[in-house]
Amino acid sequence: MGNIEELKAMVDLKNGQIDRRIFWEDWIYQLELEKLFAKSWLFVAHESQVKNTGDFITTYMGQDNVIVTRHKDGAIHVFTNSCTHRGNRICFADRGKARQFTCNYHGWAFGTNGDLLGMHEEEHYKGHIDKSKNGLQNARVETYKGLVFACFDDEAPSLEDFLGDYRWYLDIILDQTEEGTEFLGGCIKNMYNANWKFGAENFIGDSLHVGWTHASGAKAVSMGHEVPEYMPVDPSSFHANANGHGWEGGIDGVGTLELISSGNPRLVEYFEQQRQSMAKRLGDLRARKIYGSVISATVFPNFSFLPGINTMRTWLPKGPRQFELRAWTMVNKNMPDDIREIVQNACAMTFSPSGIFEMDDGENWENATLANEGVVTRKQHLHYGLRVGTSHRDDPELPGNISRPMYSDVNQLAFYQRWVDFLTAESWDDIPKVR
Amino acid sequence: MTSTDTQQIDTENMLLWHRVNQFYNQEARALDEEDYATWFTMLADDIHYWMPARESMFRKDETPDSTTNMNHYNESLQSLQLRVARLHSGAAWAEDPRTRYRHLITNLEVELSDVEGEVNVRSNTLVYRNRLEREEYWLLAKREDILRVTEGSFKVAKRKITPDFSSLLSKNLNVFL
Repeated sequence: MGNIEELKAMVDLKNGQIDRRIFWEDWIYQLELEKLFAKSWLFVAHESQVKNTGDFITTYMGQDNVIVTRHKDGAIHVFTNSCTHRGNRICFADRGKARQFTCNYHGWAFGTNGDLLGMHEEEHYKGHIDKSKNGLQNARVETYKGLVFACFDDEAPSLEDFLGDYRWYLDIILDQTEEGTEFLGGCIKNMYNANWKFGAENFIGDSLHVGWTHASGAKAVSMGHEVPEYMPVDPSSFHANANGHGWEGGIDGVGTLELISSGNPRLVEYFEQQRQSMAKRLGDLRARKIYGSVISATVFPNFSFLPGINTMRTWLPKGPRQFELRAWTMVNKNMPDDIREIVQNACAMTFSPSGIFEMDDGENWENATLANEGVVTRKQHLHYGLRVGTSHRDDPELPGNISRPMYSDVNQLAFYQRWVDFLTAESWDDIPKVR
Repeated sequence: MTSTDTQQIDTENMLLWHRVNQFYNQEARALDEEDYATWFTMLADDIHYWMPARESMFRKDETPDSTTNMNHYNESLQSLQLRVARLHSGAAWAEDPRTRYRHLITNLEVELSDVEGEVNVRSNTLVYRNRLEREEYWLLAKREDILRVTEGSFKVAKRKITPDFSSLLSKNLNVFL
């Protein structure tokens, strides 16, 4: 077991160096579960997944399995999925509809708010149990424009404060229309033998892997057209981060839309209309320049997405060397069916386990993790020093900490700074409100 | 019906089963060897190649699969070709060294369709993948095909692949089933 100082030294923000042990050591992983996942706000669902009373999904907060469900009072509840009697899981389905959750072991039954309702042969318990004290542990639940977040720490600030300036960026995908967004049905899940942070940090700022790792996908999509040898550096492209959340991308407004529309005139026309109505809500910068560009983003700690491609995903930790990716496709509620189908297929074609882009990522993350089994290898620090220290908070147009162009390790380091903030804090008082 | 007629039908069914089996073995070999040029000649121009993602649901909540839910594959011939173009781009670093594939096709059930010139086939598939030092993945799935009879062979006009996994236990799905 290491100590706080040792941990702090593992992330060298000034020189842009990271100690590889953060991707490997069990004691660090246990600290992540205790001090990060049990304390932070975590994405758990989209409201559309629990639209009606009794709708539920199950997911994980850290390695705590939780049920996310809509109670009859209309509120969304998130509580631990483990009976208070002997600890068995009470719900084994990924999603569905339930009036109550009854444990298979002794028939203890819990309401859609986590309350203990009763049990099989309840008369034996007369005078032996206070049911009101044996409900399931509820997490705090707050939503931001359709996204449901939960938090196991009563001391944590509000979700709005946790997201801070980052909400300006989230609105680009969540607030395009009056009607809002929804997830398509179902979920794609797959396992990686890699540290969960490799997924999160890749989406938060890794512009430089795009042209190389995904060269095969880019060449396939171009179908014979010339692909440039290197990505031209657009000086206006940027890294933005706030409170450890990050967004990286261009402002050409076309990169992603070109990728998914492949020149389909119906889609091009739809996106143009979309931009016009979006501009009224969010202004020209976000509607016409940022949206549609190649962008990737992570909400600290483990919720990532690609605006335009519309994959939304969580990197669920399963130990220091394994995680499960759960992914959904998000669309605007008012999106016509034919567009929905194109967007859905484009998302599966590009970013899913079978996707021609995503397919190449896993090999990198798995081997970047596995290499650390070597004790000598593990001692060599990793270089995160590209444009380190170049971000500033006073950009006239963009909120948060901004660095240009997008080819840098700035967001990755901001992510790891927040990670150190959490892992070394005694309580929320020690975690800076704004980063 | 005389016993000679029954024998005649049995012989025709066996012959059809044999031809389909032969066709699937050839297809499996093409996929094992990454011989996609050959594979594409075995697919109809209007193929629908579909593999829905599965979830664990309580029996009472089970609903029929729908392409409007999340899919691993929901492909046309053109989109399958796009996927293969990635592998042939010369830049698919994660496929070099190559993955060792083995497709086993079993439990073949063949029946003539009500549609003239089409055959309905069910099969099970077991796909083994081995890669680099010690990566090993097994995929099991049910396949429901509509084959179109062509001169001397078949073309796959429709394939629904129902995987037996809910969470894919590997980093990617770099294979067709």
